Amino acid sequence: MRFVLWVAAVVAVSLISIMLSQRGTTDPVQNLSLTITAPLESGLRDVASPIDDIVEGVFDHGDLVRENERLRQELERLQGQRASQQDAQQRVAVLQEALGVKQDRPEDKLLAASVIAQEPSGLKREIAIDRGLSDGVDEGMVVLSRNGSLVGTVSRVYKDFAWVRLVTDPDSAINAQVNASASAPQTPAPQASATPAFPTATPGVATSPGGGAPGASPVGGVAVGDLRQGVVLDLLPSDSPITQGDLVVTSGLGGNYPRALLIGSIKKIEERPQAPFQAASVQPAASLSSLDTVLVLISFRPARLTGP
Amino acid sequence: MRYLFAFATAWFLAVIGASAMPYIKVLGVTPDLVLIFAACWAILREQSEAMVVVPVAGLLRDLTTSDPLGTSVLAMAPIVLLAAAVQMRSVDTQFLPTVIVVAAGSLLYGIISMLVLWLTGQEIGWGDGFFRVVLPAAVVNALFTPIVYLPVQWLSPRPKPGLLGRRGRLTSPL
Repeated sequence: MRFVLWVAAVVAVSLISIMLSQRGTTDPVQNLSLTITAPLESGLRDVASPIDDIVEGVFDHGDLVRENERLRQELERLQGQRASQQDAQQRVAVLQEALGVKQDRPEDKLLAASVIAQEPSGLKREIAIDRGLSDGVDEGMVVLSRNGSLVGTVSRVYKDFAWVRLVTDPDSAINAQVNASASAPQTPAPQASATPAFPTATPGVATSPGGGAPGASPVGGVAVGDLRQGVVLDLLPSDSPITQGDLVVTSGLGGNYPRALLIGSIKKIEERPQAPFQAASVQPAASLSSLDTVLVLISFRPARLTGP
Repeated sequence: MRYLFAFATAWFLAVIGASAMPYIKVLGVTPDLVLIFAACWAILREQSEAMVVVPVAGLLRDLTTSDPLGTSVLAMAPIVLLAAAVQMRSVDTQFLPTVIVVAAGSLLYGIISMLVLWLTGQEIGWGDGFFRVVLPAAVVNALFTPIVYLPVQWLSPRPKPGLLGRRGRLTSPL
């Protein structure tokens, strides 16, 4: 009988708490809790991060050497592309000025935030940051990595803190497009020089937002978070000319994300012979497991905030 | 005093769980030290204590995560019932029952958490969630049980048999 009463009490209290939490009634309590734990959590993260690096270094030494070599080659290739693109960008700027074309996002305002905690359960992919309502952060705002690629969106905001839903969370769905390079293999896709280094006034904008190679039309899809594969680009037309390594950027459709933010690159294309759509797994551009600082794009108001 | 100690420990483990532990991934999941602590407490201490400590540990855990407040309180509740059920068997060791409670409690914790998240409108991949998170978490938490079990056992007022019972033998009718 004692157990029955106890179970009834626990279930009742839990359900009431969950309902109050959903309505935001408990937000001050959770804000206070994060205020108390944030310094300790930041310190523990600083301690644990090098340990993680050491463990990875010991077990993945061979992989790291190979990856380092691959990245050096990639860097060299991108530097070459960037050099040629700077000239093109200057020309575009001159032409836009001459034609009076409105810039996409000329004055993006970014707010730097430190990552203080990470959702441990594994069922969700979320991080806590030390910025909240008092800093101008609101639910739905877009969060970028230091290099400007998409990290996620603010899913819950308290007075001084916020939780950010990562692009790999199962609840994340982003209208995206692939800057397909397959249709123009001779022309190096200019989109690779996408992400300007931090600090910068403009977040990672994959250039040529309307598409990749000149003349190639972008391929639209939806980038959804996945516990197994990280990010899956779904609902791609079955005849999409996408290839491994193609860049995936936000399409801007729906108004919840700015256009042409770098999400990642195509890692593997799933074969679905009979399906009307194909899907591909995406390697996120941001290193989501080792984020320490992120940028909240506070100048962009998502449609879900500005809507009726 | 003992409650204060239990709450402080649970809070500290919850903070570690949200800050340092995500860097430690085994089978793709992070060990849940709060859950392991709650299970150890439920087995090694009085049931009346467990009925207070386990829900409070869940609450403290919720305060450090993005879950709706109350999720872990609900999801950890089966640990008390499992501990009571396991203790009905006469086993001359408390370690194996603890491992069983940790594993079973982790499974139930994961399932209840998924259910709560689903009911609160979040997208849940049931198959991936169960096979890639809940099931591995049960195994990993069971593997990490000794790390929490031994200190809690050392602080426990009950007689302390060996890790696997007296002279390494189980003397239960199991």
